[in-house]
Amino acid sequence: MTMDTEKLIERLAEVVEPVRPLARPWIRTAAWLLIAIPYIALVVFVVSPRADLISKASEWRYVIEQVAALATGITAATAALATVIPGYDRKFLFLPALPLAIWLGSLGDGCVEDWIRFGPDGLSLQPDWSCFPAIVLVGAVPAIVMAVMLRRGAPLTPHVTSALGGLAAAGLGNFGLRLFHSQDASLMVLVWQVGTVFILAAMAAWAGQYLLNWRSTVGTARRRVLIR
Amino acid sequence: MKRQSDDQVLTTLMQAAQAGDVQAYVRLLKEITPRLRQIVRRQRFFVSAEDIEDLVQDILLSLHAVRASYDPQRPFMPWLMAITRNRLVDGARRYSRRVAHEVQVENMPVTFSDEGSNIDSDGYRDPEALRQAIENLSPAQRAAIEMLKLREMSLKEAAAAGGTSIGALKVSVHRAMATLRRALIKES
Repeated sequence: MTMDTEKLIERLAEVVEPVRPLARPWIRTAAWLLIAIPYIALVVFVVSPRADLISKASEWRYVIEQVAALATGITAATAALATVIPGYDRKFLFLPALPLAIWLGSLGDGCVEDWIRFGPDGLSLQPDWSCFPAIVLVGAVPAIVMAVMLRRGAPLTPHVTSALGGLAAAGLGNFGLRLFHSQDASLMVLVWQVGTVFILAAMAAWAGQYLLNWRSTVGTARRRVLIR
Repeated sequence: MKRQSDDQVLTTLMQAAQAGDVQAYVRLLKEITPRLRQIVRRQRFFVSAEDIEDLVQDILLSLHAVRASYDPQRPFMPWLMAITRNRLVDGARRYSRRVAHEVQVENMPVTFSDEGSNIDSDGYRDPEALRQAIENLSPAQRAAIEMLKLREMSLKEAAAAGGTSIGALKVSVHRAMATLRRALIKES
């Protein structure tokens, strides 16, 4: 940058326009859900819900796992949206910890129960590669919308923000998956479904440096100032 | 107390700036620039004044780019300080990357401030005088200069083209250069 700072201030003033302040993270999360939930409902409807969905809704373990997966997605979204606000409270980062612990705890408890009930056969692991593309399909639109929303804020912690955003979309993806995919064996869910959720969150964390960075955030302002 | 009221003023200015008030925005940026400069200078005392100004400008541009992320219900300074800290860390990362790729060299006598280094280049700045000086060379010296210096032929190529030996060419070009140097210095 070779421009004089006084000159830069004048140029910034020339290009300044009114902006609407970003809403609080939980309000933005609600806006995100307004797009994500109808999309997931549409995917479940198109793929067709599992035949035993009504009876599953009365099984406490299934309900706990679904509520925990949904809550993990929602709290991760709130945390991600909080991390793009300069000066945010770091307690937000721990928001998804409780539902995630409940989700994993319930699945772990299911594994132990299967072991007690069926012995080693209760923990048999078969390949279920369909989980990955299915969660990607269900989580795609929530992920895209989340990325757009995150880019409106400040890229303070690109990897953490992206990981939380990825966890949010994948968590919702898994919630949607279990509405049409009849796989409830705890170990299978833990390895193939939750494993996919973590892989997608890790991939999102890696992509954070490209999705959220100061160069692209400041780039537009810099170009407008320089070409004026 | 004064600091608190200053922060309140900045908060009000930022709220107005978000609404598109140009005057408030200019005042805000002018108010915070010396503060930012002071913070950057204190935390990056080892970088040049130019680099400090670059960092200050980066922070101002960042503020501009993410001004929608400011919550008007909250105080302005913590928001600005969060951006400043983040940009300083980002700047330090870029600075260390740049330094890692730089090659430090001693000052060599090739600058314009060094008189001795400029004699030749100053002499060659008058192309007409140079052309005249080359015209006045003996035919053998002129041919050597043309082939080796103007057409940038190798000694082997020039020797073959001129039907002479490499040794004779070397002598001719050496003498030609000495003659040119004398002629051009006299000219200037």
